[in-house]
Amino acid sequence: MVKQAGSLTGQELREMFAGAAAWLEKNAHDIDELNVFPVPDGDTGTNMLLTMRSSVEEAYRAPDNSASTVAKALAKGALLGARGNSGVILSQIFRGMAEDIADKDVINGDDMAKAFKEASKTAYKSLSDPVEGTILTVIKDVSSAATEKSASDGKDLITVMEVAVKAARESVANTPTLLPVLKEAGVVDAGGQGLYTILEGALQYLKGETEQMQFKKPQVITSSIPLALRLPSVAAADEVPYGYCTEIMIRGEDLDPDKIKTRLIKKGESLIVVGDDSTVKIHIHTLDPGNIIHFATGLGTIHQVSIRNMDEQHRDFVSAQKARAVATDVAVIAVVAGDGLEEVFTSLGVTAIIQGGQTMNPSAKDILQKVEQSPMDKVIVLPNNKNIILTTNQIKTLTQKAVEIIPTKTIPQGVAALLAFDYEANLETNISLMKQSIENIKTIEVTRAVRSTQIGGLNIKKKQIISLLDNELIAVGDDAAEVIMDTLDKIDLEKIEIVTIYYGKDIIRAEAEKVAVMIPDKYPKLQVEIVRGDQPDYNYIISVE
Amino acid sequence: MTVKIVTDSLSDLTSDLIGELDITVVPLTVLFGHKKYLDRVTISTDEFYHRLIYGDIWPASTRPSPEDFANTYDKLAESADEILVITLSSLLTGTYQSAMKGKNYMKVQKCRVEVIDSQTVAMGLGLVVIAVAKEAQKGAGLDKLIAFTQEALARSHFISYFDTLKYLARGGRIGNAQGLLGSVLSIKPILAIKAGEMSPVTRVRSLATGVTYLHNFIKGFKDIESIGIETNMSLEKANELAKLLSNEYPKIPIVRSTISPVLGVYSGPDALAVTVLEKKR
Repeated sequence: MVKQAGSLTGQELREMFAGAAAWLEKNAHDIDELNVFPVPDGDTGTNMLLTMRSSVEEAYRAPDNSASTVAKALAKGALLGARGNSGVILSQIFRGMAEDIADKDVINGDDMAKAFKEASKTAYKSLSDPVEGTILTVIKDVSSAATEKSASDGKDLITVMEVAVKAARESVANTPTLLPVLKEAGVVDAGGQGLYTILEGALQYLKGETEQMQFKKPQVITSSIPLALRLPSVAAADEVPYGYCTEIMIRGEDLDPDKIKTRLIKKGESLIVVGDDSTVKIHIHTLDPGNIIHFATGLGTIHQVSIRNMDEQHRDFVSAQKARAVATDVAVIAVVAGDGLEEVFTSLGVTAIIQGGQTMNPSAKDILQKVEQSPMDKVIVLPNNKNIILTTNQIKTLTQKAVEIIPTKTIPQGVAALLAFDYEANLETNISLMKQSIENIKTIEVTRAVRSTQIGGLNIKKKQIISLLDNELIAVGDDAAEVIMDTLDKIDLEKIEIVTIYYGKDIIRAEAEKVAVMIPDKYPKLQVEIVRGDQPDYNYIISVE
Repeated sequence: MTVKIVTDSLSDLTSDLIGELDITVVPLTVLFGHKKYLDRVTISTDEFYHRLIYGDIWPASTRPSPEDFANTYDKLAESADEILVITLSSLLTGTYQSAMKGKNYMKVQKCRVEVIDSQTVAMGLGLVVIAVAKEAQKGAGLDKLIAFTQEALARSHFISYFDTLKYLARGGRIGNAQGLLGSVLSIKPILAIKAGEMSPVTRVRSLATGVTYLHNFIKGFKDIESIGIETNMSLEKANELAKLLSNEYPKIPIVRSTISPVLGVYSGPDALAVTVLEKKR
């Protein structure tokens, strides 16, 4: 079925968007994955699809087949079914289009370009604070490209739509340059992608490619700029003054939403004014709702008035939480050796790492430097080695910052202390929680004897494998796995749940795995985890907790 | 006339409570692919978690539409002229926005509808809705109920153990807990609701230590009105905790529930949450 689509009847308009919805359906899940703006939400594709479906369903209920009636029905369906920010904006796009083709039985390329223009205007107008790099920018770019084409190159609908789709694709690819959050995440705007997919589906319908559409799938556009490095965010959320969330519906005659919007724009934030000459809906966050209501009553009758005190809601919440305020002003610095272990500590959120350990003790200056460099005034240091605790204690007298030392003697103790950090507790409580956590953990360190000796009833030859339990020599042997099992035998494992094995830089993973499988064979209740530690000196560091 | 109380399915209220307290629950929707299920209505918690664990489709969720709310309001307006709607946090889904917009699509115009964004979720919301519904049954008017709700929400403290953040991250609702992702060690986060968003509290290495943390969290409150305990697949631990608490607090009601499917999309199959509703000061 190849269409002579110089122009479009209402019936074709409806089928075109039905085709577009089907095309979007194939892409909806991929679009869900793109979403990063404005509130974390993974549903853009789904939301747009459901909005489209509602739109098309309503179009099938349209009382006649003129383009204007169908467009109006599409708009109504979209409005009623709108879900999510992108769905709402999509519904405004349909509304704008419907308004422009209000008196037409058929539409050609010229009409479509004008409809896009009105769609873009309506979409922008519905938001008090339009953000570029979103679906808004895409409809705007589509509108200008289509307008230009229809002015220079006649009225053929397909020609105009081809240009529109191309403009949409380029616009979507460009969204990350306009919106930093997209750039950071390395994705294009999901709502924009959704709109592009809809237009692409519409064009395929116009070109009579519905057969081929069944076997193809829409593509997610890739960002036109390379993926930027993601930086961890340290800053706390701004304290925004809230005021009252005020919503009013005005009914009257000759209402002018634009004028109302202009009058209210400086009265508050998050302003949305939508409606027509008989009904206008206002949403605003304002410090003076009385003023807004006074203004509204001057224009007509007011309905569905809603005023919520957002300050109160916020304050109640904050005061209730104050006792356990977030401790984002505390830095945690750890002394660690080995790439793997560094990764462990970093992934658990330490602010900085000082390289060092058993055979390379850092200097007070090394530690001081990291303390001074950290952006916070309160610093907790985890020495993670008994030979480093004293040095660390010196720091207290060398800096203006409030430095606290958790006397962690081993890596597992450091990990336990870090895990115990409570984001809602103050420094004092955290110190006590972290110190407490050390007591609940046992550390086994496995290494080779550097000389022969006799100690604690053990006869040790040079280069034999020895193990220490919390820094006390406890077992010796020629096979690491056996030594580890011997050591575990000497621990009361009644309350133990997890054994974590950090294997050193001279050990390959397969060897560590051999040890790991032996443990649950003998102690079926224990859960064993193997982690690459890359630490020097110790073949294995094992935490038992 | 009694004020009608409306909430959404993420309040995790059991059908017994809903019936007993005459609460109307507007369900969110669970999607497996493009197949839609109404939360706790056309999909049971058992069926959902079975599919979450063994199925190969990753579920998604969507909020109720403004029309869903409008229909609910219109129906209630047949027998009431005041309705109070309490939704889950507007920072987690757009349900609050739909509830607000729903007012515009009502056919009945004489009914007054007020919507409150609870800034919390699950039993954090559920325990408050229970308290509000009881006040409504005693005959409190809408304005009084609004004030009561705001005050009660400040007394509600929700905290949850998660076996993994995988589901929360994938669902895009990780909020401030972002920093807990990507750990080399397997850690189990404990998150609370803070200013309407999921916020990290601490991390533990096992369910047992997690439950101990939750237990201590509850014990940290002096005057408790009620306690909520809910889980999906960690029922044994939840039972243990409930038993422990009922010995320690024989006079305090403990409300048990199952984490609803829509929340399960984000919590994953192994989560255990507690809520403390403090006494009115």
